[in-house]
Amino acid sequence: MASIELLILILVGASVIAYFLTKLNTTVGSIFTIFATMFVFASLAYFGFSNHLDSVVHLLPGVTFTQTYLGFYFAIIIVFVYLMVSFFHPYYLNEYKYKNSYNLFFLLSLAGILGAFYTDNFIQLFFFFELIIWTTTFLIPQGKSREAAVSYYGFSVAGSVAMLLGIFIIYQSTGTFGITAGLAALSGTPAIFVFVLFLVAAFAKLGAFPLHIWLPIAHGNAPHPFSPVLSGALVKIGAFIGVLALIRISPASVLIEAIDLPLGQYVVAILGSMSIVFGTLMAIKEDDAKKLLAYSSMSHGGYILVAFSLMNSVAFAGGFYHILAHALASAGAFMAIAAVARQTGTTKMSELGGIIHKMPITYLAYLVAIISMAGIPPMGGFISKWLIFQAVIDKGMILVGVAVFFGSIGSFLYVFRPLAALFLGQELSEYKVKVKEAPLLMLIPTVIIMLLNVYTGVFPGAILGFTNNVIAELGYVPIDVAAFDITVFNSVLNPALISLMFAVGVGVAFVIFIVLKKSRKVGLMDTYTAANFVHDEHLFHYTKDFYAPLERLYEKQSNWMTSFYQSLAHKVKEIGRLAKTFFMSHYVEVALIWIISIIFFLLWGEIL
Amino acid sequence: MIINILIGLGVALFGFVLQTSVAGINRKVIARLQKREGPKWYQEFIDIFKLLSKRSVSHGWIFDFGVIMAVGGIIATAAFMPLTSTFSAFGTYDNFFIFVYLLAVGMLGMAMSASGSGNPWASIGVMRALTTMLAYEVPFMIVVLTIVKLAGSSSLTAIQLYQQAAGNHWFLIALPLGGIVGFLALMGMLGKKPFETYIAPGEIASGPMVEYGGKQLGMLFIMHEITVFIEVSLFVHLFLGGGATLIEFLLKYFVVYTFANLISNVNGRFKIDQVVKFFYKWPLILAVVQAIIAIYFGWVI
Repeated sequence: MASIELLILILVGASVIAYFLTKLNTTVGSIFTIFATMFVFASLAYFGFSNHLDSVVHLLPGVTFTQTYLGFYFAIIIVFVYLMVSFFHPYYLNEYKYKNSYNLFFLLSLAGILGAFYTDNFIQLFFFFELIIWTTTFLIPQGKSREAAVSYYGFSVAGSVAMLLGIFIIYQSTGTFGITAGLAALSGTPAIFVFVLFLVAAFAKLGAFPLHIWLPIAHGNAPHPFSPVLSGALVKIGAFIGVLALIRISPASVLIEAIDLPLGQYVVAILGSMSIVFGTLMAIKEDDAKKLLAYSSMSHGGYILVAFSLMNSVAFAGGFYHILAHALASAGAFMAIAAVARQTGTTKMSELGGIIHKMPITYLAYLVAIISMAGIPPMGGFISKWLIFQAVIDKGMILVGVAVFFGSIGSFLYVFRPLAALFLGQELSEYKVKVKEAPLLMLIPTVIIMLLNVYTGVFPGAILGFTNNVIAELGYVPIDVAAFDITVFNSVLNPALISLMFAVGVGVAFVIFIVLKKSRKVGLMDTYTAANFVHDEHLFHYTKDFYAPLERLYEKQSNWMTSFYQSLAHKVKEIGRLAKTFFMSHYVEVALIWIISIIFFLLWGEIL
Repeated sequence: MIINILIGLGVALFGFVLQTSVAGINRKVIARLQKREGPKWYQEFIDIFKLLSKRSVSHGWIFDFGVIMAVGGIIATAAFMPLTSTFSAFGTYDNFFIFVYLLAVGMLGMAMSASGSGNPWASIGVMRALTTMLAYEVPFMIVVLTIVKLAGSSSLTAIQLYQQAAGNHWFLIALPLGGIVGFLALMGMLGKKPFETYIAPGEIASGPMVEYGGKQLGMLFIMHEITVFIEVSLFVHLFLGGGATLIEFLLKYFVVYTFANLISNVNGRFKIDQVVKFFYKWPLILAVVQAIIAIYFGWVI
């Protein structure tokens, strides 16, 4: 029986070993990282599903561990993404300046994940969250830019500080740091404060509107193998805090009777909707494939927030399922892009084209991932979006409805762009010779994720059964899931049947195709050109400003969030300069007067 | 189960035959409108089978695979479509969202295949098709949100039965604003003028279709006919009370398609940004207003 404490200690130990091994030889160190991650994943998967991990603590002082279905659900998804991504390390680390510390921090942050999701103590939760942030902050700058790490760190710490304040308020009003006990005893005004503060943390970590600026910067510039972790795994921590705030705290506030929802939850749903809309619009006009997927993460974060704010178990099931579906889809898509980036050296869509002829498996992996991301059957994303749609409709939330439908159709637009620009179209001359399919070790996780994307879309029954445990643990009625049927609000969905029918349809189409006369194969340049002679593949590949007519409609508005944060930063600097003139001017006596007056002010407060 | 699948394939075939015939008859109707004789009503069949028998060119495996995926996805979607309120291949599994999203698999297959041909006209056509979809789908979904909320289920059979029940009207009458939006969205879905932007033969050389010929084009024609069958049937089931009998369904189907076609033939073509602006102005406002008065105020005729 695996003990949680032991797993964490093993990870910490392994991280140190990985450091020295990587120093000797990158491949050996990276393969050691793969095995360490695999060991943790195997232990979790074997013992964790029925909460049979050993939570007794022998060595770590002042630390306790508790197992919950909720924590396990998040932990297993995140650890899985870590495991899949670790297969990429042997091929990428050589390019990085601090490659040995890459493996070190990678494993350490995984230890943080385990600690954070297996605890019933707020201080411990905070400590492990900080561990995750601090370790990952040193991973991100190994990619393209250092500013990316600053931005990630800034927003994460803002979230952490908000959470810490919330924790202190809980302690002040209930006298305990225990998560279960503290949240149960919380009520009245402190509950509202904690609700808001935790939501700030959730929004910051999830990268939801209005705290989304860091997402494209960090995702776009992070090292290629780290972007899947960031988007598929780490962002989901925000969803966890969101669950704590929206479902477990859920303070009593004004009830909006038309939609039977408290005001607090409604505001979150609206903000989530804005995340969906803004993320979608920005993703549509982005040229960098990784930034595009980052904006799509923002939009999916919005879906998760909307789901958890609807206060009924169907929406919760949708939200939990969406966490899994998006983790798989996003990890799959980012990994495919990472593979392309390794072979071609760029992620800009306007510079790529026709990679499918050299990397067909990567193409299929990306295709499956985006089908799931766009919420199209037979992939996992459809199930979760269907549950969320049903819940939104049942509540009769019209504005939120506009956003969720807009995001869902808009995702067809933006996920198709990399597909067309990177993989399809003309095979550009510079990639004709040197590009080849990704190495086998990188294809293994790509294919596993591809199969899981399909599995989650065809047989969601078992997973929804598990999320039902989580929902029951949160105190709600589980949804009606049979072996194949999902029944919510008088509507039935049978994903297996849909997939079967799709397979039959494709089979029929294939038979029609094969019995007809065979086609003659011609090159990609042999196309209709309205009688003009075009000699250059680049002129024949339509990728730049793909949705130009649509982008033009919101071009002027697309920068206002960035400029808002820029002016905010400017104001903060101004305040800093003001404080500097007070305390750090050449005249010592000015500073002295200010310090004395502040001391008096504080003492006065003490007397009162 | 095998029987159901065979029935489903039968529905898809029926849809193909029905829509191809109705389209043929419509060519006659439009010809009369323009004071022409017009082709025979089975001209569309002749065109498709001629194409299927021709030898063609292929631009690589994705070009062919996309076509197969497109036709397969559409056949699968059509299989779920109920014909009347009592007849459907898979009973109550005819959830509304299947039609919107499983249809998208077919569309994605076609888009993939078109982009895979390497012709920029095709990519431009796909871009326009997706943009148009973004335009019409949101107002339409809001109206459907209202309908599902009122009918209490997202199963198409249940929605039909709700409208056929005594005391309830067709949603076209019960939700007049929603009905208008639904019809405009249907015009967009069918790619009828003024929303024909993504085919635009004289402008972008038929857009996605530019590189196809022979069996690939024939299969995409089959796909197109079944898609139209799904979209028009959706409108009939959602807004016109479906059909208690097959004759009733066929009649409504014919009227809706012909009406859309007539409007199409007296209109010009929008530019792509005009399509988006149009749908996000009046139809969306009407849809939201309809949803508010139907859901929050309960004013349903």
